[in-house]
Amino acid sequence: MLQAHSFLWHYLWTAPNVLLFALALLIWRNGLRKTFPAFFAFALLSSLGQFALYTADVAPSVSAESFWRVDWGTLLIEGSLKFVLIGEVFAQIFGLYPSVARLGRLLIGAVGIALVLTSAVAAAYAPQDSHFGIISGAHLLDQTIYLIESGLLVFIFLFAAYFRLKPTHFVFGITLGLAISACVHLATWGIAANGGLPASRRVFLAFLNMATYHVCVLIWFYYLLVPAKVSTKAAVPLPENDLDIWNRELKRLAQQRMVQP
Amino acid sequence: MTLAIILVVAAALALVFILSVTLSRSLQVSTGTSLATQIQPIDVEAFRNLFDPVEHDYLRRRLPAAEFRLVRRERLRAMAAYVRTAGRNAAVLVLMGQSALAAGDVQTAEAARQLVDNALLLRRNAAFALLRIYVALAWPNFDLAAEPILRGYERLNRSAMLLGRLQNPAAPVRISATL
Repeated sequence: MLQAHSFLWHYLWTAPNVLLFALALLIWRNGLRKTFPAFFAFALLSSLGQFALYTADVAPSVSAESFWRVDWGTLLIEGSLKFVLIGEVFAQIFGLYPSVARLGRLLIGAVGIALVLTSAVAAAYAPQDSHFGIISGAHLLDQTIYLIESGLLVFIFLFAAYFRLKPTHFVFGITLGLAISACVHLATWGIAANGGLPASRRVFLAFLNMATYHVCVLIWFYYLLVPAKVSTKAAVPLPENDLDIWNRELKRLAQQRMVQP
Repeated sequence: MTLAIILVVAAALALVFILSVTLSRSLQVSTGTSLATQIQPIDVEAFRNLFDPVEHDYLRRRLPAAEFRLVRRERLRAMAAYVRTAGRNAAVLVLMGQSALAAGDVQTAEAARQLVDNALLLRRNAAFALLRIYVALAWPNFDLAAEPILRGYERLNRSAMLLGRLQNPAAPVRISATL
């Protein structure tokens, strides 16, 4: 069952990508393409890229080297799209509020630089897990992309949680799916790229990756199709106090500086 | 192999954090009534005294240096408690403002957006102010500027007042007074 080219293997590779392609069409039909252009491009191009990779894997006429070249191509395109998508998610969550948007951009830039340096060090210290540079290089590229991606997404979650900002329903769904996928892929590619499992057993990692991706595509579907729960809109009884006195005191305080001892 | 273990542990921790945020989001009670009760009142007079330069000079003149430093640290700790409360109140207002964002009329939604923006600014300033207070606790000669957080209060007051008026014109608008 858990073998390459088994029925489950074919299903887990194709089904999430068929669903993702359908999701792209739904986004187009619902008019959300202009609101989420990066996610639309990601859903469309990523699914098409995976179809190309799947075809290269199953077609007997495609050589192993050509397969890995296609793999490199899809990795680079998907990786770039994911970073653009993270930028879109960030803008959707914080862009509405100038008071934290600037600080957030500054911090995410710093976190991004730190993650690039960390992933470069991790790649430099990783042992070559294959005799073929094109294969171990692809594994390292995977590890690098998912390390940076998961770090950036954790930062977005942390930053939003600190400020108690709740992203809209669909934006939260996109972020959640991306983050789950990035974390699981980081763990599996971390094991694969650093020789954590013998080559014969790496197929389990592929199954875990594909199953996780399937779940993530279903999460995106859920958040797109199922509307958010609407909270009560009743007038909130506001706590009573004297606003005038408070305002006067604050005006006075704002004109002072704290003194030194 | 060590690197693989580090990456797996880091990924697992990140996943647990993300799932816990998701769980807390889905469990969060979103009714405004329960949120409003979470706002803790701040004693304005006591808060003002902590920043009062006259009182500060008086203490410095009257107390021996060692005792003055002790008092100064106590005052800084009290200041930190006030700022923490202000930050928590700002967080509650962020949640209240966000729940009002979905309001049908444009004016209320804009007032809610303004309130959230001001509350976020206050929370950000409260975090910076806390950092400066902690530095001052360790290094008493460090200069502390309190204006940003206090200006934040002022802006937040105005935004909360406007949102309160739009949501419930008949009721007295005093939400920010309890900050």
